[in-house]
Amino acid sequence: MARNFFTVMRSSAPSSTAARPSTSSTATAPPPPNMKEAAAAGVGVHLDPSLEAVRHDLTEDIEMALELRDVSVFYGTFQAVDKISLPIPKNRVTALIGPSGCGKSTLLRCLNRMNDLIPGARVEGDIRFENRNLIDPTVDAVEVRRRIGMVFQKPNPFPKSIYENVAFGARINGYSGDMDRLVEDALRRAALWDEVKDELDKSGLALSGGQQQRLCIARAIAVQPEIILMDEPASALDPVATLKIEDLMRELAEHYTIVVVTHNMQQAGRVSDYTAFLLAGEERVGRLVEFGPTQEIFTNPLDQRTEDYITGRYG
Amino acid sequence: MSAAAPSAQLTAYAPRVRARRSISVGFMVIALLAITVSILMLGALIVEIAVDGAARLFTDGGAVSVEARDGSIVSDLPTPEGMGWLRWVLPIAILLPFVGPRLVHSIMADVPRITERVMGLAVVAPVAVFLHILYVRFESAYFIEYAKAVDIDGATGNIFPLFGEASGFQIVRLVIMGIGLPLALLLMGWFWSHRMRKPSLLIPAILIGAWIVYLFMDPWFLSSYPSRSPSGAGIFSAVTGTFYMMTITAAIAFPLGVGAAVYLEEYARRNWFSRMIQVNISNLAGVPSIIYGLLGLQVFVRVLEFERSVLAGACTMALLVMPIIIVSAQEALRTVPPSMREAAYAVGATRWQVVRHHVLPYAFGGMLTGNILAMSRAIGETAPLIAIGALTFIAFLADSPTDDFTVMPIQIYNWVARPQAGFHEIAASAIIVLMVILLLMNAAAIIMRQRTRTDW
Ligand SMILES: Nc1ncnc2c1ncn2[C@@H]1O[C@H](COP(=O)(O)OP(=O)(O)O)[C@@H](O)[C@H]1O
Ligand SMILES: [Mg+2]
Repeated sequence: MARNFFTVMRSSAPSSTAARPSTSSTATAPPPPNMKEAAAAGVGVHLDPSLEAVRHDLTEDIEMALELRDVSVFYGTFQAVDKISLPIPKNRVTALIGPSGCGKSTLLRCLNRMNDLIPGARVEGDIRFENRNLIDPTVDAVEVRRRIGMVFQKPNPFPKSIYENVAFGARINGYSGDMDRLVEDALRRAALWDEVKDELDKSGLALSGGQQQRLCIARAIAVQPEIILMDEPASALDPVATLKIEDLMRELAEHYTIVVVTHNMQQAGRVSDYTAFLLAGEERVGRLVEFGPTQEIFTNPLDQRTEDYITGRYG
Repeated sequence: MSAAAPSAQLTAYAPRVRARRSISVGFMVIALLAITVSILMLGALIVEIAVDGAARLFTDGGAVSVEARDGSIVSDLPTPEGMGWLRWVLPIAILLPFVGPRLVHSIMADVPRITERVMGLAVVAPVAVFLHILYVRFESAYFIEYAKAVDIDGATGNIFPLFGEASGFQIVRLVIMGIGLPLALLLMGWFWSHRMRKPSLLIPAILIGAWIVYLFMDPWFLSSYPSRSPSGAGIFSAVTGTFYMMTITAAIAFPLGVGAAVYLEEYARRNWFSRMIQVNISNLAGVPSIIYGLLGLQVFVRVLEFERSVLAGACTMALLVMPIIIVSAQEALRTVPPSMREAAYAVGATRWQVVRHHVLPYAFGGMLTGNILAMSRAIGETAPLIAIGALTFIAFLADSPTDDFTVMPIQIYNWVARPQAGFHEIAASAIIVLMVILLLMNAAAIIMRQRTRTDW
């Protein structure tokens, strides 16, 4: 179901650029007619006003792993994220950047229903995943999380053996194949195998921070997900370990779709193919400012605020 | 805004702060005084009890006395020959489960840890239990023979009912409760810790210390039934009754309490209903124990017709300690960081799988600790058992949960209430035994808490 998402976007670009709003109030306005046409044409394109900053000059034919449309998140009465629409290209690394508190983690956690676990959290909108809206309550969150894995900011291996850490996900999901093979494969992919192959019985907590994070990546890989979400996976690590994780992300992108949150500009520049820039206004509601190929975002941003953020290096 | 306003406020507040500090210093002095005085008084009490109690607890060496049917006391029975070596083999057998795995590990360096644990439990522990049975049987056989030899008719109540007429059930129960239970608790705390640390020698040291004390004690005091004469009276039925009741209490209260805690912490939504339950659990923890006794009397003894049995006592005690177990289990669950739950959810675990494979195992050490502390509270409770009518003079072992029973604090209460000085002395002896049991339980709880703690 490959689809030229960005080409379609370009064809409708003029109207959305013309209607380029800077306030959120327009985001709640009914969609412009040409969007309805596009939808009627069955191309599944959503022209939300907040998408106006999405790059339209892409010619790459690319399949989408996820498509976010009008995703809003509330913590009780507080709105953390407002109507974000965003494509997540398949088998690419997409970076979410922005200053602290702009809702990057919040948005990321929507993508595998982790927000379900926070009492009072509510997600609205549409996150297309294989023609289903994965936000929909009828969609099984456990299934979603098995197929969309996650790596957290602080390495959080289980206080069990390295082997058990990796095997756990597969085991509870009823994996019946050769577990030793699976563990080895996952650890190899996470570039950890050579370091731990002789001590698989050692506690995961006994590893160094960087090794722990790679163990967490192996744990995520072992359930064979399609997408891996990473929330500032290197922010708690030293520079050498950070580089290892970054290399790893590039390698993993061959097999997996990766969405990575980072507040480190250089890191986003180094590892990602696409970048989304989020920003929260005074009311602390996070909105998408710009999305596009990383190179474009960094060298030729459409929005002044993106340029300020990238050059000013604040956040 | 000028700078004057805040500084004016500061001066206005300063004296009050100082006044409060002097008040708090006053309170501290009073508190320290109170603590010092109460420690001194408690110390004096303990010394007095120890001096009194030692008289019955430690008759010299292995010499023992037997009370004959006619009430006369035959004393100065010598320590049986051939028992010495068994007495020393047993501490080693107890030590083995702790040191053995380490030895094995050092010999075969790449034995997987799981094998190590299974070996420790499955091979060495039964050996220890077997040796103990052997020892107890040997001892009782000796005394029966001895009693026959010196022609003491029956030597009532002073012989372990483990040989001859003793039922298999009695043997199994005595072994389970006498050493199996404490050993199992200790081993559980030891082996359950998901992160094997370097085994410390503290637990074996305590066990061996306790065993050596036991060697020098007058075995009759622990193994005799209550009697008309203080020198022949013992706390056998009280100790076994206590362990019997505590085992059933724990078997009822622990699963229920842990279940309630898991529900409240992991499943219940934070709404008025769960808050109400929470508040009421805290309230229940503060209800006087005699009220639980009256509740038990009505519900278990009368309505459910358990009569004044071990079971009725255990059910009442279970109600009494349930709030403590729930609250401590909740605390244990809260020490498991949310990031562990998130990590498990993120690989597609269901809520139950998260609880079953992660939250419960990681919190289990803390839960066991709380359970032991709750048990040590229950072990000293007297009022509720008096309310349900536990007897004070029991010259037999409870054979089933529906039998009459007595427990240590009731036995102590009974002896203290008697006019003869001799009974006051053995009451002191019983208090020492009770306190040693309490100290051991609390020590086990502390060790367990430290061993199962994870530095996340
Ligand atoms: N569990 C929560 N409950 C309430 N508010 C939250 C919660 N998590 C995050 N927030 C709020 O949502 C906003 C976005 O947070 P977050 O997504 O963590 O930002 P980022 O990851 O970009 O730093 C912040 O204002 C934060 O205070
Ligand atoms: Mg964040």
